[in-house]
Amino acid sequence: MLLSRKPRPLAVVADRADDRPDPAGSLAEQALAHADELYGLARHLCSTSSDAEDIVQETYARALGGIARLTPGSNLRAWLFRILRNCFIDQARRKKIVLEISDDTVGERPANEGWDAAALDQLRYLAAADLERAVGTLPHELRFIVLLDAQGFSEAEIAEIARCAAGTVKSRLSRARARLRAALQGSGRGAGKRERGNV
Amino acid sequence: MSEPVSDLDPNVAEADRLIAAALADHVRMPAPRRLREQLARRHLATQKPWRSWFAAFALGAGMAAAIVLFVVRQPAADAVIVDEAVGDHLRIVSAPHPLDVETNDLHNVKPWFTGRLDFVPPVSFVGDDEFRLRGGELAVFLGHKAAAFVYQRRLHTISLFVFADQAVKARDEITSRGFHVIVWAAGGLGMALVSDVNWDDLRLLEARLRS
Repeated sequence: MLLSRKPRPLAVVADRADDRPDPAGSLAEQALAHADELYGLARHLCSTSSDAEDIVQETYARALGGIARLTPGSNLRAWLFRILRNCFIDQARRKKIVLEISDDTVGERPANEGWDAAALDQLRYLAAADLERAVGTLPHELRFIVLLDAQGFSEAEIAEIARCAAGTVKSRLSRARARLRAALQGSGRGAGKRERGNV
Repeated sequence: MSEPVSDLDPNVAEADRLIAAALADHVRMPAPRRLREQLARRHLATQKPWRSWFAAFALGAGMAAAIVLFVVRQPAADAVIVDEAVGDHLRIVSAPHPLDVETNDLHNVKPWFTGRLDFVPPVSFVGDDEFRLRGGELAVFLGHKAAAFVYQRRLHTISLFVFADQAVKARDEITSRGFHVIVWAAGGLGMALVSDVNWDDLRLLEARLRS
């Protein structure tokens, strides 16, 4: 596993940043342009907004403290998300939260899930709260991968960020989707379709 | 985003596609302004000395402007109204039961309030493809009965509260607990529009409600 590195105090990292030459400045600006994406992911991983803000802060402290290690041409965005993942796991360790280990040997659900036209129509009216609940039922690793996919990363990029094989990403994505389907079947409100009394 | 593919059942593939589209919308969540400011201060302002001076100057000017605004301008929307609006909106989005009246026909929603409120909500926007009317609910706003109209923008729920309160004098925009709130007065009643949609969408709906 990764992330055995002890997080450095933010102040120390920030002080070092003072001495950096100008190119780091422009990289910092580029990196900060991804703040919304990083926060969006962190908010779905952490139970509180305060924890999410903490890991985003820490992500930037680590990233910009070590920006000299970023080789030219590297994928800055993917690098930031990889650091965010490390920060999230470190935070879980500090808080003594046990992160579920996803079992890659378990296959996905069979296809016969009863997705008829009505069930699909309900998905079109899916409430955000239902989606939030469904995502919350996923083990963290599956949640992380499915959220990276939703952020637009390719499977190869997700493999790079999560430090696993591309085939593992594929199978985890498949299982995450199966779990989401199971959690969401019948969740749609069908608002606009249903009328309760002509009052 | 990789396109979900299922070679097992076309309906399962379609379910995956719908869930993926919903997730792509859902995962976007703007970082709180406070966090963005902290990050910029910590990582941008320290890059160059002149930037530090500029940031200090901007901060000072900003604080001075805030003080002037605070002294000169009487806040139009009371914090209590905003808190109440956000709290009531949260109650609507997290309620396990459907709305009191769940229909996309405004001509069914408005009459439903008759006899339940001692005023007629001045709402005539029936909803459209971009802002679908989901229904209405009887709310309790600042201790009095109020009307709540619920609209849907993609996955986002938008609540419009119409309440009898003379405190609202002028239009105002406020962000509270991450929710955007627009407050204005209409026909002697207070109106509060609340949602987690972006400001542009919320203003668009406000314009349609006021037109």
